[in-house]
Amino acid sequence: MMITEIGHYALVLALGLAFIQSVLPVWGAKTGDGRLMAVAEPVALATLGLVALSFAALTVAYVRSDFSLVNVFENSHSAKPMIFKISGVWGNHEGSMLLWVLILVLFSALVAIFGGRLPQTLRATVLSVQGWVTAAFLLFILMTSNPFNRMIPAPFEGQDLNPILQDIGLAIHPPLLYVGYVGVSIAFSFAIAALIEGRIDAAWARWVRPWTLAAWIFLTLGIAMGSYWAYYELGWGGWWFWDPVENASFMPWLAATALLHSAIVMEKRDALKIWTVLLAILAFSLSLLGTFLVRSGVLTSVHAFATDPTRGVFILAILVIFVGGSLALYAWRAPMLKPGGIFAPVSREGALVLNNVFLSAACATVFVGTLYPLALESVTGEKISVGAPFFNLTFVPLMIPALIAIPFGPLLAWKRADLAGVAERLAAAALAALAATAVTLWLSGATGILAALAVGLAFWLIVGSLTEPVQRAARGGGGVGPFLRRFFGLPRAAFGTALGHLGMGLTVLGIAGASGYDHERITSVVPGERIEIAGYDLTFEGSTPRQGPNFREEVARFAVTRDGLAIAEMAPTKRFYPARQMPTTEAAILTRGFSQLYVSLGDPGADGRTVVRAQFKPMVTLIWLGCVMMALGGCLSLADRRLRVGAPRPARRAEAVA
Amino acid sequence: MVWAVFAVLTALAALSVLVPLARAGRSRGVAEDAATAPDAAIYADQLAELERDVARGAVSGREAEAARAEIGRRLIRASQRHEPAAPPRRWRLIVAAGLAIVGLPLLAVSLYGGFGAPTLPDLPLASRQSEPMDGQNLEALLARVESHLAQNPDDGQGWAVLAPVYLRAGRYSDAAAAFSNAIRTNGATADLEAGLGEALTGDAGGVVTADARAAFERARTLDPNAIRPRFFLALALGQDGRTADAEAAWRAIIDSASGKEPWLPVARTQLATLTGSTEPPPAAAPAAPAAGAPGPDAAEVEAASEMTPEERAAMIGNMVEGLSARLAREGGTVDDWLRLVRSYVVLGRTDEARTALAAAKAAHPDAADVQRLDTTAAGLGLTE
Amino acid sequence: MTRKQRRLVLIGVAGAVLMSATGLVLSALNDQIVFFRTPTELAERQVPVGDRVRMGGLVAEGSVERTGETEVRFTVTDTASTIPVTYTGILPDLFREGQGVVTEGRLGPDGVFVADTVLAKHDENYMPKEVADSLKAQGHWQEGAEAGAPGAAGQ
Repeated sequence: MMITEIGHYALVLALGLAFIQSVLPVWGAKTGDGRLMAVAEPVALATLGLVALSFAALTVAYVRSDFSLVNVFENSHSAKPMIFKISGVWGNHEGSMLLWVLILVLFSALVAIFGGRLPQTLRATVLSVQGWVTAAFLLFILMTSNPFNRMIPAPFEGQDLNPILQDIGLAIHPPLLYVGYVGVSIAFSFAIAALIEGRIDAAWARWVRPWTLAAWIFLTLGIAMGSYWAYYELGWGGWWFWDPVENASFMPWLAATALLHSAIVMEKRDALKIWTVLLAILAFSLSLLGTFLVRSGVLTSVHAFATDPTRGVFILAILVIFVGGSLALYAWRAPMLKPGGIFAPVSREGALVLNNVFLSAACATVFVGTLYPLALESVTGEKISVGAPFFNLTFVPLMIPALIAIPFGPLLAWKRADLAGVAERLAAAALAALAATAVTLWLSGATGILAALAVGLAFWLIVGSLTEPVQRAARGGGGVGPFLRRFFGLPRAAFGTALGHLGMGLTVLGIAGASGYDHERITSVVPGERIEIAGYDLTFEGSTPRQGPNFREEVARFAVTRDGLAIAEMAPTKRFYPARQMPTTEAAILTRGFSQLYVSLGDPGADGRTVVRAQFKPMVTLIWLGCVMMALGGCLSLADRRLRVGAPRPARRAEAVA
Repeated sequence: MVWAVFAVLTALAALSVLVPLARAGRSRGVAEDAATAPDAAIYADQLAELERDVARGAVSGREAEAARAEIGRRLIRASQRHEPAAPPRRWRLIVAAGLAIVGLPLLAVSLYGGFGAPTLPDLPLASRQSEPMDGQNLEALLARVESHLAQNPDDGQGWAVLAPVYLRAGRYSDAAAAFSNAIRTNGATADLEAGLGEALTGDAGGVVTADARAAFERARTLDPNAIRPRFFLALALGQDGRTADAEAAWRAIIDSASGKEPWLPVARTQLATLTGSTEPPPAAAPAAPAAGAPGPDAAEVEAASEMTPEERAAMIGNMVEGLSARLAREGGTVDDWLRLVRSYVVLGRTDEARTALAAAKAAHPDAADVQRLDTTAAGLGLTE
Repeated sequence: MTRKQRRLVLIGVAGAVLMSATGLVLSALNDQIVFFRTPTELAERQVPVGDRVRMGGLVAEGSVERTGETEVRFTVTDTASTIPVTYTGILPDLFREGQGVVTEGRLGPDGVFVADTVLAKHDENYMPKEVADSLKAQGHWQEGAEAGAPGAAGQ
């Protein structure tokens, strides 16, 4: 069998088809030639087939440990469990780029299949622009990162058995993020197509929104997943590090969030068109930038896997050509777009503009904080690190007014609104916020005023985001029955909005609790000794060795009691992988309500004592539950009938993907 | 066979271009109408939604009126727009078909010809492990043992078998890890401890480090008569500059010999070096290799891997003399000099190492070179 | 309000937000960034005592010593100079003598570096980037000896 070579050839052939897809449909659209435009859909599907074949071939090589592939030799090992052999396909540079392209052509194919309600010229142009991106990245893979390179004689064993990377979280995380990153490309292609056609209107916004929403859902889940992975795997309880690689996924998220909101204005009021197009371009540019940062090896950080300057230069060239080209096209064509509806500063539109301004500014601070050290080092050679203190002083102050404004948005009327009236309707939320702040202050003994205010902000968001649907359902009076009937009769998009904002509130509450009221104790114990933390008693019962499949570990057992009542047993471990002479730390996590106890082990201390780090993180799980809630809100919005009428099948499809 | 698959794939890909080119020509009228219909449908839906909001009381009458007018304007604009129908052009069709029929296969085959290996079959591991094992396939054998041990890290016997193989292959750090694992699971024996010491020494470029010495000492405790630990401990004393102790140790070793041991000449050389005697040792080793040779050739390395450590040390001693003579005569690069210095340190001839270092600095007075020489020498434990 | 006034309000708000963002970024860049220094630069007192810095180098062989319940002392070297470091807390899994390490903290007046963060490499191919660069600059590190992909960095 020659599955590997068939996969390799399919990849080359896909590049050829991508070139054809880049040229013929847009040529047809410009000349009004229907036959050329009709090429777009079958070619997009064929490209998907070829890239999928190629990816399958690589997966087969991993599963069967075919070490004649350099990529398999370097990144796999015959002793790996099967699940990690498979996840190893995208756990390395070459394979992850192939996954990136696979998702890209999958999105193109989805547009081809479900874009039946789009005007033919727009669909053809969008698919051509997708073809440009596909061709660029296929060329990158074949020229600099070919996973199908062979070597003879083939080694008998692979090199990678890195235990840190053998983790289910790490197996799922990159594909989720990639679907988000790459999904933003559809919004980009629509924006470029609109600029090429010189025509953009409210209908365009409705066609773009489901795609942006789907990408945003995956970005949200991907970021949350990555955060949780770092939290439980790295063993010291941090959940966000402002690491450049995290920022690389966070910036497209901020831009996509802004895009979602500005597209609403565009759809409803035909306004903010030029800005929305720019946002679509910027969101994908930030996705490309993220790919560049992670894949070029310019950073050395928690997730960087690749170092090879030729790759970096190639991706940089792709970045410059796409970002520079699209911005030039924008500068040239945007002035031709007709401005749309007008609105007063105090209005739904005004609130959404405010949201966009703050999100963009916040995104810009993250951008500066991420790239400034790189720029400084390449210009002056000075090495600096920009860490959490920088972002706490820049990003956070910019997000706070945006968060305060959130509950106002859905209550304001389009065009011109009555701010005082809306403020009155938010009285309940304001009361809840005040009460929450006061109670928090009282419970914590008046320490941490900022964290208490953050708790207040969270309640303002939670209650405020429920205000709109509840009040809308309450209008018209009647008892509980009519209220419930009206409540559940509301459009799904209204629930989507409410849930999205509610999720934001939960995340803020989690952040406030976990960073404002966490307890940490680092100490060393001998069996029988007790650690007290946040009202819990952890009694160290001793440690015992245990043999795992390819590691041995020292399991420390702690009996957890509260007020003398036994609650649970926690067993953090220190693992050692003899084949790699490599130790790892596995934390033990005990969830109590939304809060967590987090215990991890250090190296053995002096005279046989065990060094322990015990942490109590109140409300910490809300950080990720909030993200899940936001994603759920996104799914509800996707399911709304409005999006189905505009582009009926894409919405259903994206729902299925979600 | 594989080319047939390639041909089928190429044909399918080309068809994905050709079929729509051929078909769409017949259905142009439909495409023309569809150009305006989609946006009109959206505006119609927006109007319907507005009516629902009005019915629910979510929008006031005046707002609804304005919104209705706005959407109506968009609807009219959308339905007025009419894309000019372009006359079909035959030459475009020919270009497009040409791209699919000629361009695509040409690009694919030429690119693949550059990257691919069309004659190379898949080599899944499972099918290869049943391959007959011949003598050259040491690596495959190692791989099997390694993967076995990765899954059964407590198989002490396995580690004990693997460790000397690593040692002979010069994979010192792997050897050290394997010896440690064998000791951890099977308990210490003089042989394993001595092997560990030798691996650590090899890993340190021939210097008997503190860890290595500890291992040799444990081995000597386990078996006071074993020669390997005593040999290396004597070497260590010499390297530490404890000349008197080293001399005593070498004498003891030589005295305990019956006279036929292969390591005896090396021990005598060591003793002679320490006592400062310039006499050649009684049993001279084979003649030095040709002066000016850059290093041991493959055959010598091969031979060295067959030797006992003692024989190897003798051969190294000879090569060092050759290198020293060549450098004195013709000079050499910093790396050549460093090799000489390192070799002397390894052989425990610290005084000569210092002399060589001074000569190297004289030959390379450049500041960067001097610093490099000094740093490396310091790393070898050589002080001036 | 006329159309022009409305537009002015919008532009004014956007401008104000952007200006405050710029102000925040500039002031934070002044105060909140941490410079990377080698032990030599610290030993030569190129950094004022008490300034927050990152220091990277190799953990000197035989220098790690547990002095308290959870307090650790070790020295970091770039082969030219060494700086003693104290750290209270749990060291990363791959913190080892003779391996690369990055510490963040402040240099005390007694010349002892008080670290609050210690980052180590995550696999044997990885050397913290800053450490590799500074060692390379001094010629103590050969390309190839430690070549390969950097793995996940440590914490």
